[in-house]
Amino acid sequence: MAEHFRGELPRLLRLLAAPAGFLPLGPALTLAVRRFARRKPAVFDRLGEYGKCSFLIEPSDLDISFLMVPDGSRAEVKCLRRRASQTADVTVRGPLLVLLGLLDGTFDGDALFFNRAISVSGRTDALVALRNAIEDAELTPADFVGATGGLGRLVDRSVIGGLGLARRFTGSPIPGDPS
Amino acid sequence: MSIELVCPAGTPSALRAAVEAGAHSVYCGFRDETNARNFPGLNFSPDELVEGVRFAHAHGAKVLVAINTFAKAGAMDAWKAALANAETAGADAVILADLAVLDHAATHHPNLRLHLSVQAAAATPEAIAFYADTFGVKRIVMPRVLSVEEIAKLNAAINVETEAFVFGGLCPMTEGRCSLSSYATGKSPNLTGVCSPPEHVAYTEDKDGTATRLAGFTIDRFGAGEQAGYPTLCKGRFVAGGKTSYLFEDPVSLNAASLIAALAKAGVTALKIEGRQRGKGYVAEVVRTFRAAVEAIDAGRTEVEVGRLLAGLVEGGRQTSGAYKKAWR
Repeated sequence: MAEHFRGELPRLLRLLAAPAGFLPLGPALTLAVRRFARRKPAVFDRLGEYGKCSFLIEPSDLDISFLMVPDGSRAEVKCLRRRASQTADVTVRGPLLVLLGLLDGTFDGDALFFNRAISVSGRTDALVALRNAIEDAELTPADFVGATGGLGRLVDRSVIGGLGLARRFTGSPIPGDPS
Repeated sequence: MSIELVCPAGTPSALRAAVEAGAHSVYCGFRDETNARNFPGLNFSPDELVEGVRFAHAHGAKVLVAINTFAKAGAMDAWKAALANAETAGADAVILADLAVLDHAATHHPNLRLHLSVQAAAATPEAIAFYADTFGVKRIVMPRVLSVEEIAKLNAAINVETEAFVFGGLCPMTEGRCSLSSYATGKSPNLTGVCSPPEHVAYTEDKDGTATRLAGFTIDRFGAGEQAGYPTLCKGRFVAGGKTSYLFEDPVSLNAASLIAALAKAGVTALKIEGRQRGKGYVAEVVRTFRAAVEAIDAGRTEVEVGRLLAGLVEGGRQTSGAYKKAWR
């Protein structure tokens, strides 16, 4: 964690984010994914049998990681301390802001892989299925908090604007830009 | 509009992104082995295609459906269903390669406009005339092995439209006839719709970097920070004659933006962007950039440089004009 890579959170923000490991992020994200599965079941149809696979998401600039089984209404997300040894069908590692950019379609997964902004291991077929399902989901920040209507639009504008600023600040790759 | 921009869509959201970014046409496929991008989680259900066509038409864009793998002997039902579903959805054309599928389309779906896929590898006036005369094919997607001069000569000798790839993954082999993926995995883009199927691909990291394995064969190894490419045998790095090198082709993407005016002058009707397996971020960026390039050419400029704009999206971090400029011959 001592080395700072392009797109990673600066040290001060990492320190500020450290207490996140003690928040009930896992249950909150589990609820969010299950809520999303009820609203957009087609996304999980696209994932098919791979919904039962486990995906370990490791933000390289945080001391926590997320273990997700995106099985529709039975989906589960666990928040883990980074040092915990955990096996999963698929592991994806990269800066937090870059990983969030994959969720909302800001970044192209292949381009991030070519540029080595993310690293992947495990079952490539499951990863490809998840990537394509997320691509089609058109996820927004409001989906995660269950906000709709005017409140949802406000959440989206605020979070997307904030993420854009943060990416510029941290030097995250931008679409089309050589690394 | 002097030249048509044909853009990829692996999902309904990518289709919308392509149309909103300025695609004149979008090509896509069904979620099965009938198209050459049969990857997990990708492609359209019949209902999604209906909605996609509706969206595209409402925005003045066309939808071309790729049904471009080779049908299994005695088991053509999936390809027949794909043709029927494409017609029901209101597709503007279907992109085919297999003789039996072409024959079925011409016989049972006479109102469907037929394009010949690059998978058919038709590159001579004689072959193209056969497809045009026998099945009524209206457009040929040209193999990526021809120079601009050869395309001009070809166009002068045929009476169907031609479509040329201008950006994206560069298949260096004669398409539809490559067996490299089959050799390693038993599956190929020609028959099952996947080159290097992801269930056979594995990345492993060690102190020397990342190794790419395909069905147990190590096909490349790249160090930290070194640009990576797709896990295909044609872009693998091997030791031969005591030297380690990319024996067939470097990890590199095609970018023929600087040749748009030349391709138009050579008689090309449509320009194709590769990348149905790519995300909507790629689709929107590439389509927007190429639409601006096409409009600049229409406005009288002779050359447009888009390489720098798209440098972050390309395989291996490098771009080439491929066979269009055959300096390597």
